[in-house]
Amino acid sequence: METFLNILISGVLLGGIYSLVSIGLNLIFGVVRIVNFAQGEFVMLAMYATYFCTTHLGINPYLAVFLVAPLMFLFGLAVQRLVLQPLQNEPMMQIFATFGLLILFENSILALTRGQAFSLSGGYSSVVINLFGLKASGVRVVVFLAASGIALALMLFLQRTMPGKAIRAVIQDRQAARLMGINVERTYLLTFGLGTALAGIAGALLAPIYTLSPYIGGNFILAAFAVVVLGGLGSVPGAYFGGLIVGLIESFSGYYVDPALKQAIWFIVFVAVLVVRPSGLMGQVGAEEVGLREQT
Amino acid sequence: MQRNLISRLAIAAFAITASVNLACGQAEPLRIGAINPFSGPLALYGDEVARGYQLAIDEANAKGGVIGRKIELLRGDASSPPQGIAAVDKMAGQDKVEVFVGTYISAVSNAASDAALRYSRIYWDTNALAGDLTERGLPNFIRSGPYADSFAEVSVAATKDLLAPALKKDIKDLKVWIEHEDSIFGTSIAEQQKKLIEKMGGKVVGLGAHNFRAIDLTDSILRAKATEPDVWIETGYVPDGSLLLRTMRDQGFKPPAIMMAATGDTFETLDALGKEYLEGITVVGYPRPDQTEAYGPGAAAYLAAYKRKYDREPIAPQGMTAYVGMQMLLEAITAAGGTDMEKVRAAAAKMDKPLNSYATGFGAKFDAKFQNTRAFPTVIQWQSGKVVTVYPKDAAQPNVKLVNVPRK
Repeated sequence: METFLNILISGVLLGGIYSLVSIGLNLIFGVVRIVNFAQGEFVMLAMYATYFCTTHLGINPYLAVFLVAPLMFLFGLAVQRLVLQPLQNEPMMQIFATFGLLILFENSILALTRGQAFSLSGGYSSVVINLFGLKASGVRVVVFLAASGIALALMLFLQRTMPGKAIRAVIQDRQAARLMGINVERTYLLTFGLGTALAGIAGALLAPIYTLSPYIGGNFILAAFAVVVLGGLGSVPGAYFGGLIVGLIESFSGYYVDPALKQAIWFIVFVAVLVVRPSGLMGQVGAEEVGLREQT
Repeated sequence: MQRNLISRLAIAAFAITASVNLACGQAEPLRIGAINPFSGPLALYGDEVARGYQLAIDEANAKGGVIGRKIELLRGDASSPPQGIAAVDKMAGQDKVEVFVGTYISAVSNAASDAALRYSRIYWDTNALAGDLTERGLPNFIRSGPYADSFAEVSVAATKDLLAPALKKDIKDLKVWIEHEDSIFGTSIAEQQKKLIEKMGGKVVGLGAHNFRAIDLTDSILRAKATEPDVWIETGYVPDGSLLLRTMRDQGFKPPAIMMAATGDTFETLDALGKEYLEGITVVGYPRPDQTEAYGPGAAAYLAAYKRKYDREPIAPQGMTAYVGMQMLLEAITAAGGTDMEKVRAAAAKMDKPLNSYATGFGAKFDAKFQNTRAFPTVIQWQSGKVVTVYPKDAAQPNVKLVNVPRK
């Protein structure tokens, strides 16, 4: 029973990691309609930025998040304005452009670090919460709480604020939103910046957990794309719960079936959900088709 | 008169040109091409291997070179098999490279050695680990360093001779969990370890495979924890090795002894885990310069030469294995009297040096597949944040003792 509960906890905490990485990706995917291949590299850049803040500026990584996230927001604005917006009417070119950014970011960090792995080895990364034999890594609990808080805050932002409503309007129909006086380009800019800032938060909070390498973004992004499609395009709760589902499936199948097969198992579930419900578990029915429709 | 002067000048000019050409011919250096990743994520290690080559070449050049020629090392950057082939094509064609050495990446060695054969050039491998490289029976391929099976052999021998006595158990009573990353690299070593442990009567309670890019390895650790092993052995890369150890710590899994193979002995692991946690963890790796002079004669001199030239401690132990590999290659070229493929192979086949002849403790005796049968890794242990050679016993300094086994 104790083992079962430990696996459950590790699955939920892993789900928190997937959710955190997926929410930003889903926002960009759902609103700007860009398959952002570079999202994992945004997370990676934020991890290195956090490492730099901690080791060179002496800032605690959990405080560094308040510096890294705004910087990533500005960085996201710049990428959207300078790289993606000029290609707005060429969706395929936008995808290639994000792929180009992926290669650029990876190789820039590679050139700077010569491939050397870095780790944040502060005491906080070894804190373990131990309750009645159930163990949870402190840094992962923080990630889970942050993912939950961000999902909630983002839902409130989208429901209650004017910019949030504008984002939802653009998700539903770009042309109609424009006709209603919404500045679509500015909404894209805001959304891309927000999505990048979320990658920034993810990177800062994940930095104490992993050994940093220029390719680490790719480790997250495959799962994140699956989470986005599984949860539903443009749906914040979809990304959150989709992340938790993938985390739990991975954890249980890894323990009870075989760690080498766990990815294959959650991809089977992913394909099954797509066949039964193509819009994802919480996506708006038909949204996936809108996503494919060429919009001007 | 004037015509006479011109003809004399022409003769003099011809004589000077001819003598310069002759001089150039005599001074033509012996070019050796090093195929390694000099860019990309493994550049750090490719560089380190090349530094080992350079130190051996500097030593030989200081004595006048080999077969009357100075030696020059050229670098061929290759992180993937196609790049390996391209580097060989360029170096053999344009740069007049006569012999190739390598390789930090086995897949690159596989492709590059095949390409070198098209030019009838020797491919002398000092560092690639994959077992199948020598199994191919390529007529230009020779490996002077240890390979996957040697790592498996030494890890099992050290489990029996070093860890079992420290745990006050016989190998037959020992429960071992073998964890490995799931590519051919980790799988081949792990399967060999399992075979050898079971042959000695030890009990392998589990063989766990994981993807080295996995984000979470709690399942792998919980599976191992449930079997309560005495020894937990792991083969993988740096990021997954560090993640496994961190998860082990978080999940309160404390096997009495931990042994890692191939990685886990660099500052990257120290950075990730800290010296307190690493205390007592053993790593099977390339021989290090801290071993005794009797085991590895010249190891201290290598370390001194490295520090003198590069003004720092060695980055990774692969460099010293590369250094020794280059020494063996130069000996084979000297014995062959040139770089002809057949002659160098014949010279290598005749090499017969006992163990403990080189700085790494290697000897030189090649089998029919041209694998050096006298090249073995050693075992180090993390002690107070430093790596210390502990096995074989004659490689360990006399004052060195095994610490923190069983782990507290």
